[in-house]
Formats: sequence, C-alpha cells, structure tokens
Amino acid sequence: MAEQESVVLVSNDGFQFILRKSAAMKSPAIKGMLNPRSNFTEARENKIVFQNMSGLILEKVCQYFYYYEKNKGQKEVPEPDFITPEIALELLFIADFLDC
Amino acid sequence: MQQRPRGRIRPPRRGLVTDQVDFDEVWEVLSQSLREIHQKNASTLSFEALYRNAYKLVLKKHGDGLYKKVKELVSEHLQYVADRDVKPLVPSAVITGSSNLFGSAAIEKRIGGSKFLEQLQAVWEDHQLCMSMITDVLMYMNRIYCADHKLPTTYATGMGLFREFILLNNVYNIGTALNRVILDQIQMERDGDVISHGPIRSCIYMLECLYESEEENEHERIYLTRFENDFLAASSEFYKAEGQRLLHECDAATYLQKVDKRLREERDRCVDTISSLSESKILAVVDQRLIKENIREVLEMDSGIKSMLDHDRFGDLRLLYKLISRVDPDKSVLKEMACNRLIELGKEINANLKNPVAAIEKEQQENGEPSTSGAAAVREEKSASNATALAIKWVNDVLMLKDRYDRIWEQSFGEDKSIQTAITRAVTQFVNDLKEAPEYISLFIDDNLRRGIKGRAENEVDEVLDKAITLFRYLTDKDLFERHYKIHLSRRLLANRSLSHDTEKQMIGKLKVEVGVAFTSKLEGMFKDMTLSEELSTAFRRDQEGLGPDSPSKLKFDLSMNVLTTTFWPTKAVGSDSKPCIYPPEIEAARTSFTSYYLTRFSGRKLIWKPNMGSADIKATFKGRKHEFNVPTFGMVILLAFNDLPPGQDTLSYTDLKEITAIPDEDLIRNLQSLAVSKTRLLTKMPMSKDVKPTDTFKINDQFSSKTFRFRVGLVAINKAENEREKKETNESVEKDRGYQIEAAIVRTMKQRKTLSHQELLIEVVEQLKNRFAPDISMVKKRIESLIEREYLERVDGRRETYKYLA
Repeated sequence: MAEQESVVLVSNDGFQFILRKSAAMKSPAIKGMLNPRSNFTEARENKIVFQNMSGLILEKVCQYFYYYEKNKGQKEVPEPDFITPEIALELLFIADFLDC
Repeated sequence: MQQRPRGRIRPPRRGLVTDQVDFDEVWEVLSQSLREIHQKNASTLSFEALYRNAYKLVLKKHGDGLYKKVKELVSEHLQYVADRDVKPLVPSAVITGSSNLFGSAAIEKRIGGSKFLEQLQAVWEDHQLCMSMITDVLMYMNRIYCADHKLPTTYATGMGLFREFILLNNVYNIGTALNRVILDQIQMERDGDVISHGPIRSCIYMLECLYESEEENEHERIYLTRFENDFLAASSEFYKAEGQRLLHECDAATYLQKVDKRLREERDRCVDTISSLSESKILAVVDQRLIKENIREVLEMDSGIKSMLDHDRFGDLRLLYKLISRVDPDKSVLKEMACNRLIELGKEINANLKNPVAAIEKEQQENGEPSTSGAAAVREEKSASNATALAIKWVNDVLMLKDRYDRIWEQSFGEDKSIQTAITRAVTQFVNDLKEAPEYISLFIDDNLRRGIKGRAENEVDEVLDKAITLFRYLTDKDLFERHYKIHLSRRLLANRSLSHDTEKQMIGKLKVEVGVAFTSKLEGMFKDMTLSEELSTAFRRDQEGLGPDSPSKLKFDLSMNVLTTTFWPTKAVGSDSKPCIYPPEIEAARTSFTSYYLTRFSGRKLIWKPNMGSADIKATFKGRKHEFNVPTFGMVILLAFNDLPPGQDTLSYTDLKEITAIPDEDLIRNLQSLAVSKTRLLTKMPMSKDVKPTDTFKINDQFSSKTFRFRVGLVAINKAENEREKKETNESVEKDRGYQIEAAIVRTMKQRKTLSHQELLIEVVEQLKNRFAPDISMVKKRIESLIEREYLERVDGRRETYKYLA
C-alpha cells in the first residue's frame, strides 16, 4: 500500500525524498511519469530520479508540494518561508520544468 | 489558494544554462525511445530522461524541429501499421468494388467483418495509448512550443495522422471498407442474424473521437461527416423496402407491431452498437419510411383502423396513436379516419331509423286496409308512437356509439384533447344530420320522465338525464329542441303524466346549467302555473264548501282547473284559438261559477277555456256493473248529450251531435272515434267502420263491458311524435321565431356598438345565438335588410358594409 500512496523522488546527488503521491501529483510532469498505463520505468519502480536537481532544490520542491497541498483552497495563505533569495532563480527554472 | 497570475517566468535562453545542445544527437536518443514506445517497450525507458531531453530541445529553440520530427516519426509508424496490420484484413471486395462482400455465406461474412473490425479496434487502441504516452513525454513541448505557436498538440496531431494514414488511406480504402462492414453487419442484424456488437461499438467510438481537422470542431467528427450519412441512407433504403414488404405481408396490427419493434431495435442499436448521436436521426428515418409514407395505406387495409375501432382493439389503437404521434403532432390522418368511421356509424344509426318506419308503413299498406282517412289517422298515430320507440333506440344507439369512442379515446388515444375535439365534431355532425334529432332527444326525455325512471334510484335517474344532456350539447338547433321539449312538458304536466316533478325540475336545472336562464324561463313558468293552479283549485273548492247546498253557484261535482299563462305554453300543445262548445247546463254553471270566482281574485284578466285539454271522470252502469271512467272533456260533452235524449229515442246522428255540442268537426270526429271505434266502445256506431262520416248515427253501447272498475278512454293517442303536417307547421314557426331572435340579436349588438362592419356584426350575432341555433348567414343578411327598411339601422355613407344604429 505504501508504494501506492507515496513516491520516492531522488536528486542528482543521491538524496531521496519520500512523499505522498497526491502531493507530488501537483506537477503534471510527475503525474505523467507515474501514470501506470504508460508503464515507464518510473511508474514501475515508483521512483523518479531527477538528473537536473540537486538535493537542495528537490527539498524545496517537496516543501512546496506539501505547502501547496496544505493551503489549497484557502483564502488566507501564509507566506512560503522556505525560499531564500539565493536559490530563487534556480527554483524558477525547476518550476517551469515541472509546470507547477 | 489563489491561482498565480499566468505570467510565466522563463529561464533566460543564454548564459544560465551553459551546456549546448546538439539537436541531432538528442533527437537520436529521443526517437529511439519513441520507437520503443511504439513497440510497447516503455517499461525500460525513463520518463524523466525523455522529458528532460524534450525539455532541453524546446528550451534551446529546437521546438520547431522536434515537432516536425515527431510528426514524421508517427506518420512512418502508422504507414507501417496500415501495411502490416490492417491491409491484410481489409475485405477484398472493397478493393475490387464488388458489392458482394465476402461471398454470400453469412457466417463467413460475419467472421470476416468481425476480424477486420477487431483488428482496427486493436490498432486504434494501441495508437491511442502510444499517443497519450508520447504526448505525456512531450508535455513540455506542448505546453510551451505548441501553445506559443498555436499548433495542435501532439495528441491531436497524432489523431489527425491516424485519420490520414489509416482511415482515409487512399490505397487501402480502409474508411470505406469500415463503413461497408459496419453497415453490412447492421444489415445482417436487421435481417435477424446475430452479430457481435463490441467491435462495432469500438470502431464507432473511434470514429466519434476523430475529427476532420485538428481543430476538433464538434460537428466535424468523422462519425458525423463520413459515416452517419451512409448509415442513414442505407437505412432509408432498407426501410423503404421493408415498408413495402410489410404492406404486402402483414395485416394492419402486425404492421404496427413490427414498426414498433423496429423503432425499439434502432433505439437499442444506437445505445449498444452505434452512436447515440444518431438516435433521433435514425428514428426519423424509420418514422418517415415506415410510418409517414405508409400509414394511410395501413389504416385503409381491411384490417385497418375500421376494424380496430369496430372491435375495440384498444392495444392496437394505442400503438397506432403512439406511432402516429411520432410523425404528426396533429395526428390528422388518425383523426380524419377515426372520425370518418364514427360519422359513418352515426349515419348508419340514422339510416336504420328511417328504414323500419318505412317497413312498418309498407306492411300496413299491404295488410289491405282500406286507405280511408280514419285508417290513415290511426296509422299516423301509430307511426307517432313508433317514433317514440325509434327516438329511444336512436338516443341509446348514439350514446352507445359515443361511449365506445370515449372509451377508445380514454384507453388508446391518451385522452388527446385534439382528438376529443374531432370526435365531438364528428358526433355533432351526424347528430345534426338527422333532422329529427331535437325531437328525438326530447322524446327520449319525455319517455323517461313518464315511464322510464319508475322505480329507479336517484343516481340512476340522474344518469339518464345526463345522457340526454350529453346529446343535447351536440345539437346546433337548440331552439328546436326547446320547442319540442315545451310541448312534451306541457303534455306531461296537463295530462298529469309526469312521474316526478322533482325529476322534471332537475332536468330543467341541467338545461339551465347548459344554456342559461333565458332558455328555461318559460319551462319554469309552466311549473309555476301548475302550482298556482293547484292552489287556486283548492281555494275554489274551499269556497264551494262554504256555500249553502241551495246556493245557485254551488256545483254538483268537483272541478279542478289549470290556469295557464299564454306566453309560457306552446300554442301547439294548448291550441292556438279557443275552441268553444255548448256545454251541458250543469257544466256551463260550473264554468260561470269558476270564472266569476277567478275574476274576483284577479280582476282585469281574461280566461280562455280550452275544453280540448281537459278531461272528466264519469260514473256509469253497464249491464248492472258500475264503472268509473275518464274521458276527454269533449267526450264527456258528447256522452252527456245522450243523457238528455227524449224517451224512446236512443240514437243521435253526427249532425245531431254537431248541433247539440257545437264541437269543431275535427275534435268531434276524433272524440267519436275514440268513443266508438277504439278499444273501449262506449258508443256503437251505425254503420260499423273505422271512419266517422257525417251520415253516421250513434247510440250508447249497452253491451259494453270492462274487466276493470276504473278505466280511461284516451283520445286516440295523443300523438307523441310529429306527423308530416305538424312538422311543416313547426318548421315554419321555427323559421319565424329565428327571424325574431336574429333581429333581436342584431338590435342588441348595434345598440351597444353604434357602428359596426358587416363581418363583425355577423360574428357577434352568431356568437350570441350559438346556444340556441346556428343562424343561416343569408337569413341574417335578410334580417339586416329588413331592419334597415324599418329604419333601425342605416348604412354608413362612403363605407361599404358598415352599419349604424339609429336610436
């Protein structure tokens, strides 16, 4: 069951993040990767390796997924406090890549 | 969380991402993977890698190249699939153009067709899956490049390619073959074969999902543009032939059932085999071919609507109604034919009435009766009472017919309002077609109020009256009915033949509800007269009791009077003129006595005596037996004449009687007939014959005997129905009456409106009179002319056909 409810995201420097699938599915790209019908490697292994993300960035991505899921549909949202100016630009790239 | 504004932040193209990309190199990797996808080997591929490669290419402005290359790759693949997978199974006949697919063996046909469909279905499903995977992988390109350049997404492109390379493949004619195979399979199913729906459904679904262009407009589904028309055309042909076949093979009911079944089948087919988009269209084809084009012919069959109506085939008729409603919201064919049958039956009832009368008359003629005036009179009377029987039969027949149609209407025609109107119109037509209808309805009521309702419960009586009212509603000549009803009512009242005054009043109440107070006021007046007369008679009697036995105005017998107001009572029943006669002294005394009593109570009035309406109870002894009998007043006057004969003389001749009594010839003859010729012969006539001639002599019949103590000597039957002469008179007076009523309506209208055009006036007048009769337009015109002559109206100068009221 755990396999179906969670997914492993791996960074290019080997960090692994396990998070709820529902949160990760915020990204259409990730959703496509996990689509069982297409049966890609990622879907079979329930693990995605991102060659273009470092652990630092992927952590922020995961934080954002949970931040988004937690505050979805609410009117008053706290400022996301996990983004620091240093990595902002890189995060923007990744946001475009993942379409989220 | 609120959606972020879509203003997208793009990574700068240069500087930040330093690694340069060689398009060909990356594409090589990518295309290899895409081919793997086509080979269904995706499980070895990393989505992330593919996605990232595509992302890179797009990012480095190779989107254009990528897009084109992908398209090429998919095209190649599809061409290959068409060659390898589909072509071998395309039914060969399509290529040669022969219409005879797969030879004639149904099994072969079915299997071959199914295989082809299944293959196509498989190819289609593969393609769908591959395209969705490729689209997923190329998501970034679709999102950025395609959106920016307003190009169809990879998926849409892939669908378009499928259309080009597989369906519309010029070499293999796959699309055409598909249509033919599907149509062929449907045809087989229509012919009763069993086919498998799944493959067809899938292929139809495929056609529904494909569009003529990449814009994917709703109405440009391939299904609609390339399949449906063929399907409808083929169906139309099929059902045209089917219609002809069924017309030859089936009776009407079976035809309808088959049509219904076909409709159900087509509906089901749209659900489980082809698309529900076509449901209304294919049903319209069936409607057109099987119902609209043939229904009249079906209804005209021997087993058609006539037989259904005549045999109360509710189920068949319900189906018929249902089917006709599909093609014609007015159901005009149904209405027309049902009503024609109804009118036909109605006219039959009318015609059947005439025949028996003729037959009876003929019979009597053949019986060798001398055609003397007396016999003729008797015959006339006889036919009159026959008429009552006929009237009752007619009313019952008509009501039965109407009831039957009402039941059909209720059970089979969904209580359709417009059909009800049509039925009403039909009944109105044949009811009014019978000239005697108003009289017959009145006779029907007359008979019931005199005899029919005896011993019946209140609600049963009510039912009978309602029946009469039902028919009354259909009458256009309500004034004629009123005329007859008045006569019949007056006879019931005066001869005391009515069973129940309550019922009489109930009937009048019902009429009042139907057509208003004006119609019934005279009828009610008649009742008032009766009540007043009763009171008056009682008062007079009391007055008599108060007199001493020797008083000159004291009467030796009991006298009751009916004092009638002239205007309420029909002149025909009461007689228009006073019929004087010389009364025997004691009667004359009573008359004077009552007259003076009446005038002391109501001064200034004039009493006209109508001895032809009255009757008298007489006690007499025949052969030692006492009898009491009731005779008409004139009869009494005649009998009393024999009382005063000088001793030794026991006969009186006709002329003697005429002299003594001064009764008008007509009445004298009739009364003598009833006294000397009819069953109860109180007088003997010399010579014996049916006729009374001025030379005849009469004497009291001493041999008279009767089983009963009390009996009644009727005036040779009060004729219940009208004879020919009376009919003519009635018609004339009806015409006269209508003339007055039309004039009254005209004057009423013009007084209110002052000026009015001819048309409007006509409408107004017809509307006002519709409760009484349907005025003849030429008659209204004549009345208008006459009113202009008499200066009630004038024409308005300069405006044609406009009238002005002159105060």
